[in-house]
Amino acid sequence: MFRSRNTLLLAAFVLLAATTACEFRSPGQPKWGDESVPRSRWGTSPVFTPARASFGDAFRQFVGSRPDPVPQPFDFSHQIHLTKGLVCTDCHTGVEQGPRAGLPSVNTCMICHSQIATDRPLIQEMTAMQAKGRDFEWRRVYDYAPESHVRFEHAPHIRAKVECSTCHGNQAEQTVARRMVDMNMAFCVNCHKAKQASNDCLTCHY
Amino acid sequence: MDRRHFIKLTAITGTTAALTACGNPENQVIRFIPEEELVPGLSTWKPSVCPLCNAGCGVIARVVEGDAEVFRNGEAGVIRMGLVKKLEGNPEDAISQGKLCARGQAALQVTYHPDRLDKPRKRSGERGSGQYVDISWDEAITELTGQLDALVAANDQKSLAFLTKPRRGRRLELIAQLLQRYGAPAPATFEVFSDEVLRRANAISFGAHQLPTFDLEHAKYVLVFGADVLGTWNSVVAHSAAYGRMRHGGAGARAKLVYVDARLSQTGANADEFVAIKPGTDGVLAWGIARAIVVQRGGAPAAGDAPFTPEEVEKRTGVSAAKVERLAREFAANGPAVAIIGGAPLAHTNGLFNAVAVNTLNRVAGSVNQPGGVSFTSMAAPTPTRRFSEIVQGDAPKVLLLDDVNPVYGSPASLKVADALKRIPFIVSFGSFIDETSALADLILPDHSFLESWVDAAPESGAAKAVPVTFAPVMRPLYDTRSTPDVLLDVSRQLARPLANLPASFEEFLNSEAAAQPRPQASSLKSHAPGSVVISEPQFDGDAGQYPYHLIPHASQAFHDGSLAHLPWLQELPDPMTSGMWCSWVEINAKKAEELGIHQGDVLEIASTQGSLRAPAFLSPGIAPDAIAIPVGQGHTNFTRYASNRGVNPITILAPTMIPETGTLAWAATRVKITRVGGPDESLILFGGATRERPEWTHGRGDEH
Repeated sequence: MFRSRNTLLLAAFVLLAATTACEFRSPGQPKWGDESVPRSRWGTSPVFTPARASFGDAFRQFVGSRPDPVPQPFDFSHQIHLTKGLVCTDCHTGVEQGPRAGLPSVNTCMICHSQIATDRPLIQEMTAMQAKGRDFEWRRVYDYAPESHVRFEHAPHIRAKVECSTCHGNQAEQTVARRMVDMNMAFCVNCHKAKQASNDCLTCHY
Repeated sequence: MDRRHFIKLTAITGTTAALTACGNPENQVIRFIPEEELVPGLSTWKPSVCPLCNAGCGVIARVVEGDAEVFRNGEAGVIRMGLVKKLEGNPEDAISQGKLCARGQAALQVTYHPDRLDKPRKRSGERGSGQYVDISWDEAITELTGQLDALVAANDQKSLAFLTKPRRGRRLELIAQLLQRYGAPAPATFEVFSDEVLRRANAISFGAHQLPTFDLEHAKYVLVFGADVLGTWNSVVAHSAAYGRMRHGGAGARAKLVYVDARLSQTGANADEFVAIKPGTDGVLAWGIARAIVVQRGGAPAAGDAPFTPEEVEKRTGVSAAKVERLAREFAANGPAVAIIGGAPLAHTNGLFNAVAVNTLNRVAGSVNQPGGVSFTSMAAPTPTRRFSEIVQGDAPKVLLLDDVNPVYGSPASLKVADALKRIPFIVSFGSFIDETSALADLILPDHSFLESWVDAAPESGAAKAVPVTFAPVMRPLYDTRSTPDVLLDVSRQLARPLANLPASFEEFLNSEAAAQPRPQASSLKSHAPGSVVISEPQFDGDAGQYPYHLIPHASQAFHDGSLAHLPWLQELPDPMTSGMWCSWVEINAKKAEELGIHQGDVLEIASTQGSLRAPAFLSPGIAPDAIAIPVGQGHTNFTRYASNRGVNPITILAPTMIPETGTLAWAATRVKITRVGGPDESLILFGGATRERPEWTHGRGDEH
């Protein structure tokens, strides 16, 4: 009994050490602590596969840990905007027309905020930014590494009536957007199966 | 320090370091608000026109949203904007017909070049030292206006000179108008590989002072004298597209292409037959063929045709009498047949004779203004210009405006063009790059790239119908540059005595009616019987005994006249005949090289009466034993990080021999001697190098072939 618990502890320790310290990197694999990539990719293989790319990824998936939100210029709340009656396409305008949904510029914000909530310090700061011609440096939350050779197009998915929340989680429950759905290949393939969309390799990898 | 203490300390230091690293405002780039709303990821194709040569190929540019590093209001930052990512031929365009040459594809790199000039500058150090200080556009325009006002005050407006490339179109028309109204002489033009001789010959033969258009698609027999019609000469894309159709004319309809020159060019490599000829005797051969056609038809040769009997032609050109008669039979029997001349045969002292002789051949064969023959587009007369030599010789101008033209690189060293320019008190350059000529400028007012500005072109030849085109910018400017025609308009408005009634902008000028210009008469086909032109021998610089080899400089496939050597895609482009890249080479006859003990890659010294240079040998079966060829394009001393101090420039050692009728450089009229100075020095870089088909190339030993 005692012995087996010891073994379990040892195994857990090894698992933990491997997860945190993952120093055996393959080329292109983001370094531990590289702020330019999402923390979830630290120490992971750049190749996006249905199986987990690294021991660390597997462990994180096993314990169901979600990556930290990507640091944004300020804590934009999706929740507030969605509960006020806005819809996703109001700001992510490219989603119905092209491959990418797009991130709004200050000009888009100011369509409403030249009138609404003008007394808030953050809005006043934004108004000053627009006057100076400065834009926010938004950072992408969802993306595929180029090495995964995945090309995702939003428009066909919108035409097929896939809800935004299917892939991005219920943003009305989120403040700053964070990865809520683990978009691995199994996730894509399952949905394609269910909707009888093509599962040919070249549908996504080209 | 105990262990617990150590761990605590490490944790604190680590956290502090991590916190300070994030969110440091100094490391954050400025991001500007986008000036246009684009759907991210979707491409738009917008039309424009390629500016890299005179052909005027219509292009379409793929514009996609992306992040670009830009200058806005004097600040560097990042902006999301529509960026041109690819250029292709415009399928709707009469010249390019949806195709584009390698040079045109690389035109993209002009806009994104890391050494592109991004803001106005004023010289702060010695001339040519490369020391400049940034100034604002207002200061720059005030500076230029001040210089021009000083000329007006001294009543010396004629001392303003404008030097540009000989481009047809409304940009040059506007520049000429502004100069004229200011009181300055017409703009001068400079071009290394000028075709002025051919225009002059066409004026003599056909009454059309312009370049010819060939209906290659419908020709059954094409006889080319030295013109690399598929590689570098005139409207290459139009020629190549038509050539493709000519070769696929249906069963039994494959036209024949014969190439005559002292060197096998890319066009020569595509020919069915290569006729090697002594340099500068192309006119004799053409006339000989024309005479033989007349004789074979049972006509009587003109009295003056005595030097053009097949035997006499053989003696002068080295082409056998039997071959002359055969070529004549084939040319007459396989109509429509057309003869084309260009390149080196025009660049001899007797270039005009050579061109007129080929025109005569075309007329004797009945190929003028016929399907499958030669014709001239009906178009407005070009803007009158003056010769470059007027600027460097005689009274030097006091103010010189340079519009993206590089005569210091493109002139023989003995002409001392740089010294002549240094005597000019004030030089302004509008080009986008520092090159050998603009390095002498006192003021640099960089132009937009062609993708960022209003552009126009009026192709002189290439398509049966000349269609002048005008296009809007396809992307917003990246940097603090300004469109040169607009700067000139601004300057004209801000003069102490401003020019009145100016268009508000170049855009407005382009969209206004062109000034009524005389249209040329439909080719009047002046009679020019064979015999009335006196045979003209080519003159060469350098004694034949002491300098036994003809130097044939030729336009490079990649860099054309050298103005494109700054584009790394083109540096990386292997030459189709030698596979050379990022380097210069001396093409030498393989058998001759064996006699001389010269092997592939050996360093040769090439000396003319004017100077010498060193370059590696490339052994080729496609060049005459008494000639060597060096591509023009490399050998820049000061032209961005990619072109500077790479290879050699054969123009420097050319004799300053001019073609008497046009005053253009006879760049094929120099003799040289060759000395082997050493073994391979690794300066010869060949594609795929040495490893596969030709392992001997590794060691620079080409003994086996």
